[in-house]
Amino acid sequence: MTTSSSSSVPFFGMGREEVDEQMMKQQSAAAVGVGLGGLHHHHNPHLHLHHHHHQLLQHSSSLLSNSQLTTAGAQQQPPPPLSAASSAAGSGPPQLKRKRNQPGNPSKYLLLATYLALLLYLHPILLGLISCFCFSFFPPLPLPLLPLLVWLRVLVSATPRIDPDAEVIALSPKTLMATNRFICEVCNKGFQREQNLQLHRRGHNLPWKLKQKNKNEVVKRKVYLCPEPTCVHHEASRALGDLTGIKKHYSRKHGEKKWKCDKCAKRYAVQSDWKAHSKTCGTREYRCDCGTLFSRRDSFITHRAFCDALAQESARNPPPSLASHLFTGAGGAAAGLANNTTLDISSSTAHSSAAADILRLGGSTTGPGQFDHLLPPSTTTATSQQFRNQPHLSPSSAAFFMPQQDTSDHHQPFHHALMQQFSSDPNNAGGAAANQLFSLGFDGTTTTNNNMMTLFANNNNHGGVGGGGGGDHQHQMMMGSSTGGSVPLFSSSVHQQQMNNMVAHMSATALLQKAAQMGSTTSSNPNATTSASLLRSAFAAGPNNNHQKSSSGEKQPSLGTFGGSFFGDVDTDNGSSNNLHDLMNSFTAAANGNNNNNNGSGSSNNKKLTRDFLGVGHVAAAVRGIATTTNTISQQQQQIGAALERSSSLDSERNNNNSMGSHSSFGGNPSFQ
Amino acid sequence: MYQDDGSSSATSSPLQFFSMAQLSPNPSNLGSPYPYLRELKSEERGLYLIHLLLTCANHVATGSLESAEVALGQISQLSAPDGDTMQRIAAYFTEALAERIIKAWPGVHRALNATKIKIPSEETMVRSLFYEMFPFLKVAFVVTNQAILEAMEGEKMVHVIDLNASEPSQWIALLQALSGRAEGPPHLRITGIHQQREVLDRMSHKLVEEAERLDIPFQFNPIVVSGGLENLDPEKLRVKTGEALAISSVLQLHPFLASHKNPNSRLLQRQGTLGELGKMDWFLNVLWGLSPKVMVVTEQDSNHNGATLMERLLEALYSYAALFDCLESTVPRSSIERLKVEKMMFGEEIKNIVACEGGERKERHEKLEKWIHRIEMAGFVNLGLSYYGMLQGKGLLESYGCDGYRMKEENGCAVICWQDRPLYSVSSWRCRK
Repeated sequence: MTTSSSSSVPFFGMGREEVDEQMMKQQSAAAVGVGLGGLHHHHNPHLHLHHHHHQLLQHSSSLLSNSQLTTAGAQQQPPPPLSAASSAAGSGPPQLKRKRNQPGNPSKYLLLATYLALLLYLHPILLGLISCFCFSFFPPLPLPLLPLLVWLRVLVSATPRIDPDAEVIALSPKTLMATNRFICEVCNKGFQREQNLQLHRRGHNLPWKLKQKNKNEVVKRKVYLCPEPTCVHHEASRALGDLTGIKKHYSRKHGEKKWKCDKCAKRYAVQSDWKAHSKTCGTREYRCDCGTLFSRRDSFITHRAFCDALAQESARNPPPSLASHLFTGAGGAAAGLANNTTLDISSSTAHSSAAADILRLGGSTTGPGQFDHLLPPSTTTATSQQFRNQPHLSPSSAAFFMPQQDTSDHHQPFHHALMQQFSSDPNNAGGAAANQLFSLGFDGTTTTNNNMMTLFANNNNHGGVGGGGGGDHQHQMMMGSSTGGSVPLFSSSVHQQQMNNMVAHMSATALLQKAAQMGSTTSSNPNATTSASLLRSAFAAGPNNNHQKSSSGEKQPSLGTFGGSFFGDVDTDNGSSNNLHDLMNSFTAAANGNNNNNNGSGSSNNKKLTRDFLGVGHVAAAVRGIATTTNTISQQQQQIGAALERSSSLDSERNNNNSMGSHSSFGGNPSFQ
Repeated sequence: MYQDDGSSSATSSPLQFFSMAQLSPNPSNLGSPYPYLRELKSEERGLYLIHLLLTCANHVATGSLESAEVALGQISQLSAPDGDTMQRIAAYFTEALAERIIKAWPGVHRALNATKIKIPSEETMVRSLFYEMFPFLKVAFVVTNQAILEAMEGEKMVHVIDLNASEPSQWIALLQALSGRAEGPPHLRITGIHQQREVLDRMSHKLVEEAERLDIPFQFNPIVVSGGLENLDPEKLRVKTGEALAISSVLQLHPFLASHKNPNSRLLQRQGTLGELGKMDWFLNVLWGLSPKVMVVTEQDSNHNGATLMERLLEALYSYAALFDCLESTVPRSSIERLKVEKMMFGEEIKNIVACEGGERKERHEKLEKWIHRIEMAGFVNLGLSYYGMLQGKGLLESYGCDGYRMKEENGCAVICWQDRPLYSVSSWRCRK
């Protein structure tokens, strides 16, 4: 238990530097830690093993910091190459020359050993980083290496490396962080140095005394301990060599990062670090060939990998004619559905009956009007069956979104064709696609088909929105759905744990973040005014690091792929003021309260699009038979079309805003709490 | 029909394209795409689950139950209580949403839960699993103890009231710390409140033993309160004049919000019209009436008390995602204990947040600023945690060896986070004189 170690650390030579009562307090309070330390163990063997692993990680990190510090002290000597390590370790006797910043430097031998251990331990991580490019999977560190690592750590720490003459000074956090700790008792003015205070006291006619340097006295070297009990520099053997160094170390590692870069999201605890960053921040920009801008190299690299792959792929496959493809695709889907319905009813009767029961219950409570189209059990079966099949049939994300893709022999990149088509000609292609889909849905006169078409349109929308946002969003989509393995490796601070476990899957937090931010990191279309998605605003409280600012500063949270489709199924036709609608209104500054009323008027299509982002609600309504006039249908077709590709809906919103003369400002974090 | 894309894809899976797109920079890796693809799938499934969950919740919120039913069906195909984090979360959230739907038919709901028996010992067991698996309570205990220790400096008679006395370790630590005091240990009395007699007996036994070992004058005062703290009789606390009182409340205050009707009722309260007050005001008033020298409050630092379902669900999604992530990165997936904590603690909380309304909704976690405001309104002053208390908490978190746990200071209170998501807050208070 690390907390308990604070009590065991001796405070040598509390000589010249003041050591205030805080240290005493620390001593006594450490006892609290002792008590709890005892209970910090787990009965569960799994847990225990895991903690062992963590300990190792800690070890390795301490090794890391150790070696880093040492190189810093050695005036940035490049680390010796690995091949030279063994020979050097064999030949050279341990050197005892001291480096500036540390009293107890490990000998060269140890240093090399540390490097070796570090490399060995980090090798899965390094390889993992490489794997971001080649997308392969590597096994975690071979187990036999772990004891070696422990042994090395023990060796490093057990070797007496402390300068016996050095005076070890333990300062309390307060003293360490105090900028002006020498306070004049008369005017409360603070000084950094005691000598200055003495000179100041002279002005008050107070007794003062300047310290004289005693020529005879041998000036002892002073080393400083980090007051953080868990820090490696809390041990006397690892104390740091100068006061400024320990101050900076303490604020960097254990202090609050109060210096925030106003250009990016970075924060610094030390002002000089912040200054250094501010000078370079924003000067380096990474621009992908596709036009996307990145301020951080790692995100740029991640993006590039996918972007290149996509470019290669699309060079190989010239975009096929969309309309025919969609038509056949949809036709095949419908056929496949019919098959499913007939074949699989028997296999899932239990499910269907349960579903039907629930539906019936719903009908009894919410009134009959809403359930005009109450699904027959077979329909439900088909639905569920379809979705049950879907993961097996089509494990890709695109396939998720388009589950109706015929399973027989369409293994071509269907969604790719979609995306490409959308990016080349967003409005028309989308509209046409929807047209096809929709008319097909209506031609297949059975309820089953209608219902399925709802789902189909629904699901297609997701795919379409993802792919349809023009070149960048296309890539974004690709990234969004495929960075699973690489993201944890790239983000330095997040998910070290997962690297540790070598579980290259995304955490739920990261997924939520991604869902909220999808499409928001890039914008080749800075004019695009989009509304923040639900998730985004909810996420305002959470981490928001990946948000990239565009050069124009007009970057706004854009409607993410999912963000859009979250709203997709809202039924606005009923004029019911559901709370989602309220939410939407709160986002949409241009909302003038007419979003419920403009149903059916052809001229208000655009406005409607901005509310009901995907227009799915209307489709669903149409299928339900609430609105079946051809006028409405064509309107809805257009809506799906627009919804299928994102930029057009964005455009329409922009137009809408312009025409209304009110520009919406969603730049901030809309809060709806 | 599709035109052949000319790629050398070996299988007919549409995913093949996807994998090709990413693998093409280094085609040599095509040999073993499986582990990577599996993970890829996990992420996509996660995103899809999020999407489905929100769609479903929208449907539930707007009452379009047949659409919700479809969405629930889809989610249940993908979710799994023993799968990856998102699958697990989705499983519990859909369960909660389904319960909400079912609640529209109280008869059905009651019938479904007819055989559900609440076993207090199980609850206690899950609580202690939670205590073991997460550092949150331990950190809260360390910070609480430090605050008590500092407030009780120089006191000869110390009385500590633990509103949920389930973990003796906290007080053993305090006993040890007090025995090391420079001025010598005080007379210590600990009043433990819990639903179960056995828990209190066990605690009493352990504490008395430890106090004897350390030679500290000690007395344990057990109070069994069944059915929540609202049934607590303040008389039983037996606070004596002359003793310095400390109150420790760990996750005990938010249930009182369930009947919090009038947030500005303190004026009335002072006039003695207690009958019309919310329970929260009543309870804070009771605590205030004891005039504690220090009161340390630990609460969930999330906003799960929104008025609408969507607000609560979204917030809950974020905070429980963080909690599930904690487990994912510290406990193996197959762990039964993990499953128990997820199901019996988090799952039940999610259910309460999502499915319940009105007085039934007990898990009304609120953000720290609201607590600060509320407790200040009740006549307390924010003491602010000492730097050393914070340091100790941080130290303990770091010793946990898991990178994701963090602690920050906010208005003199400690906020324990997973990554950047605040999860628990610890604040210390004293009576305004």
